[in-house]
Amino acid sequence: MTAAINDEAASVPAGIDAAARRGAYARGAFARLMPPLALFAGVVVAWEAVSRLFNLPEFVLPPPTAIIAVLFAQQRDLAYAAYVTAREVLWGFLLSAVIGAAVALVIARFAAFGRALYPLVVLFQNVPKVALAPLFILWFGFDLAPKVVLIVVIAFFPVAINMLVGLQTVDANLIALMRSVGASRNEILLRIQIPNSLPYLMAGLKVAVTLAVIGAIVGEFAGAQAGLGYVIQFASTQMQTSLVFAALVEVSLLGMLFYYIIEWLERRYIDWMPNAG
Amino acid sequence: MSTSTLAPPPHIVARGICVDFTVAGRVNRVLNDVSLSVPKGGFVSIIGPSGCGKSTLLTVLAGLLPPTVGDVSVAGVSPIEAVRQRRIGIVFQEATLLPWKNALDNVALLMEVAHAGRGSDEIRQRAADMLRLVGLEHAAQKRPAQLSGGMRQRVSIARALALDPEVLMMDEPFGALDAITREEMCEFLLEIWERTKKTIVFVTHSIDEAAFLSREVIVMAANPARIIEATPIDLPYPRNEHSYSAPEFARATSRLRRLLKEGHREAVAA
Repeated sequence: MTAAINDEAASVPAGIDAAARRGAYARGAFARLMPPLALFAGVVVAWEAVSRLFNLPEFVLPPPTAIIAVLFAQQRDLAYAAYVTAREVLWGFLLSAVIGAAVALVIARFAAFGRALYPLVVLFQNVPKVALAPLFILWFGFDLAPKVVLIVVIAFFPVAINMLVGLQTVDANLIALMRSVGASRNEILLRIQIPNSLPYLMAGLKVAVTLAVIGAIVGEFAGAQAGLGYVIQFASTQMQTSLVFAALVEVSLLGMLFYYIIEWLERRYIDWMPNAG
Repeated sequence: MSTSTLAPPPHIVARGICVDFTVAGRVNRVLNDVSLSVPKGGFVSIIGPSGCGKSTLLTVLAGLLPPTVGDVSVAGVSPIEAVRQRRIGIVFQEATLLPWKNALDNVALLMEVAHAGRGSDEIRQRAADMLRLVGLEHAAQKRPAQLSGGMRQRVSIARALALDPEVLMMDEPFGALDAITREEMCEFLLEIWERTKKTIVFVTHSIDEAAFLSREVIVMAANPARIIEATPIDLPYPRNEHSYSAPEFARATSRLRRLLKEGHREAVAA
């Protein structure tokens, strides 16, 4: 997906007018969107046909039209649930980004401390964090806080590890040149390592935002009074399967929205990616 | 082994250089008793097969690696001190430019660190002058990804020259370029050399490149890594594309080829 977009950008000659480039990009976007949309439409039609043909009960597999009907009929309740979940994802994601980047910077800058910290971070990563959700409910209540904490412990790791790789994969000769003119470690970090790590950081953020949505839903499963995860759990106990799917649709749209915001930021501000040149 | 055919005072002197690398508890001697001398304003190439330690020798001369045994002096001081005094500029095989900075800012990078006190206008002016020197004034705003391999290496040379070093240490700088670009870059480098009067030490594995560029070629062999001979090249300057067909060029390249083959045969026999 990313590679395809970058290929498209690379095929536009350098130095071309920015507006023309955007135009070319929009035309390319249309050509890229057509096949997945056609496939998606095909799957939906087949689904509808199967559920009607075999006369499946709605609580087993509702047809897409029933799901769409619920999406409209309960749009206000769903919108509020989506708002609650989006707020959890946003805060959890932002904190994951800040904490993940900070961990990477500390490990890269303070080698001795980094050697002590790194194995602990890896150890912590191997704790099944979903299992911590009930603990967080116990400690932080049923509202926003336990979900944000759960998201952070799930999502900070890909941010930290990606950024760390970016901080460390700097050409040794370049470091030698910087040292030869008396650059301090902070100067090398600031001028070389941090900018070098930004494309890697963005890759980590894309993984983190996806994990953040999962964290929010799992956190709501463990104990919540609102949110799309709460709706899914509540509706499934009531056999309102159409509502379960309607909430799933909104969760997916939410995840995609966050993902593409990050991808847009990446394309807008970090345009020196090796595979984009 | 003083080998200069002319008389200017030596600018770089190395005596009895040995370098050992310890890998997994085993000591590997990558350079054994290497001595050389480069006159001020000279152009000396170091040529040899892969693994003969020519790049290691350059990193020792450039102050990036202290020798295990032996003395090196650059302009009368140790290489590390010479680096500190900004007497040494380095160009690597890869241009090692920052992909997020344009050509001008890449040239300015080391100056910004070295002359933190100086105004940015002065630094940018100097960077622009250096880009003009390497013929890239039109590409100042372009990022490395928008430049060809040869242009990127010119930016890298401009960056090294920006600090006005006395010595330019170049480690296979044109090794990654195609044949035609390589020859262009060689002519370009000689122009820069004649204009700036720098002392240049140039590592290469190309016989033609070494013969075309240098006043003197130091031929190395591997197993054990050592200098076989320092060969003066009697090809008149200024050199240009016609120099390749000069009889002196043919004599020099066949001599270099013979020396390299002898070194190779000895290594195989040993």
